[in-house]
Amino acid sequence: MRVSLSTHGGLAAGLRLGRPPSTVDTSALTGAEAGELTRLVEAARTASAREGTAEGVGDTMSGDAMSYEVTVDTGIDRGGPVVLRQTDTSMTAEFAALLRWVQQHLPQAGA
Amino acid sequence: MRQDTTRQCIIPPHVLERLLESDDAAIRSAAMTTLLTTARLRGEREVRASLVRLAATGQGRRTVFDCRKSTSLPMCSLARSEDGPPSADLSVNQAFDGLGSTRQFYQDVLERNSIDDRGMRLDGYVHRGVKYNNAFWNGQVMVFGDGDGIIFTDFTASLDVIAHELTHGVTEHTAGLDYHNQSGALNESMSDVMGVLVKQWSLQQTADQADWLIGADIFTPGIGADALRSLKAPGQAYDNKLLGKDPQPAHMRDYVQLPDTDDGDNGGVHINSGIPSKAFYLTAVEIGGYAWEAAGRIWYESLRASTATTEFQAFADTTFSKAGELYGIDSAEQQAVQAGWDGVGITVTAEPTTMRGSAAPTGTDSVGDVLRHLAEMSASIDALRRDLQGQAVGGGRPAPPA
Ligand SMILES: [Zn+2]
Repeated sequence: MRVSLSTHGGLAAGLRLGRPPSTVDTSALTGAEAGELTRLVEAARTASAREGTAEGVGDTMSGDAMSYEVTVDTGIDRGGPVVLRQTDTSMTAEFAALLRWVQQHLPQAGA
Repeated sequence: MRQDTTRQCIIPPHVLERLLESDDAAIRSAAMTTLLTTARLRGEREVRASLVRLAATGQGRRTVFDCRKSTSLPMCSLARSEDGPPSADLSVNQAFDGLGSTRQFYQDVLERNSIDDRGMRLDGYVHRGVKYNNAFWNGQVMVFGDGDGIIFTDFTASLDVIAHELTHGVTEHTAGLDYHNQSGALNESMSDVMGVLVKQWSLQQTADQADWLIGADIFTPGIGADALRSLKAPGQAYDNKLLGKDPQPAHMRDYVQLPDTDDGDNGGVHINSGIPSKAFYLTAVEIGGYAWEAAGRIWYESLRASTATTEFQAFADTTFSKAGELYGIDSAEQQAVQAGWDGVGITVTAEPTTMRGSAAPTGTDSVGDVLRHLAEMSASIDALRRDLQGQAVGGGRPAPPA
């Protein structure tokens, strides 16, 4: 499984320009952690579909809001990787929980 | 046939509230009469709430909320209000004071009454998210993170950052510059320009005394960066291994072509803003003295005369014509504006390329106002029709006979 996060924009957008996505080392996850991640992804995906915010359709950026794209590739999902995009100004609680988990499991902090 | 207008007054309160903020005194008065009459007839809670909110507007009253690491604004709790005591929390007080200084700057220097020039409330949210490296304007409120403690610290620490975010609201309520490509870079530049001006004004610094930096106090002390951006030297605010190099250009020849996507910063709105920002710096230094006096006034009036799609050249032309209007044709101020844009590779043309030029500086504003009013009235009529249909279907008070 491969989980990555792209972060763009914001007041400090210049620092984020051209940075590659950060990737979580999932090989080090325990079974419980992997289960937690799967649950968070499913909840975020369901909430996005419910709120019509899947991949941030129609959600434009303004006034320094940041955007986040979480890509989850299980390698066995026939539909390909799950890609979820949301922004600071319209974020579901479920996406916020997933984002927080991913940020906590990144190898190093970034801007 | 004649209908009793009073009895038809079932325009939803939120529409009335917008009409109450109309530039047209006649529309405001009609909306107020409607609101009061409706309140008397119905005694509705929501109508009374509108009146309470109306009474609270007009003064740019500040409220600061503590998010306690939540990203959900409705979950944040009241931490300080306009008349309340100071908080024990530094971020709360910094946001409160910064919003106050910015409000005062707009009032005293530019004669603008808060974000919308009608005393819009100033709501700030602090401690948003966990290790959140950002501050933003969401269209209604300003939100500040605590920083990760590695690169950034508290985003309420720089007055210019607070003024930057508040100015996004001002821009939205004036030109409404689209947040993409050159218009977006002008939007960003305007926030940086007003950001540094508020700081210079609060410190009473002249153009040559000021540091012209944005966000000098939001970096952690050991990070080895001067600031997020420099209007004096775009591209030179930071350069180190962890952060990379400040990517802002200071001249049109270095304009950075970026895709209008998330990862392209919407066409480089935070990147190419360096060009008009440098033009402002050059103009202000050439004029000398306090930058907020002449240069700031010229830029602000040009913002008010711009539209959503204004680009660098048109904005430069507008500043040139505004300088002529305000300080005289061929005045030192107008020459400084011309030299300022020259310095970044933009040659101003005497005839502004936008419609909102010197020929009719207020005339086009009036047309815009009328169009806005028409749109508002149209929306209220639609709402009225829906309301009438709803009541007819729902068995409420019958619609007036046709
Ligand atoms: Zn901004």
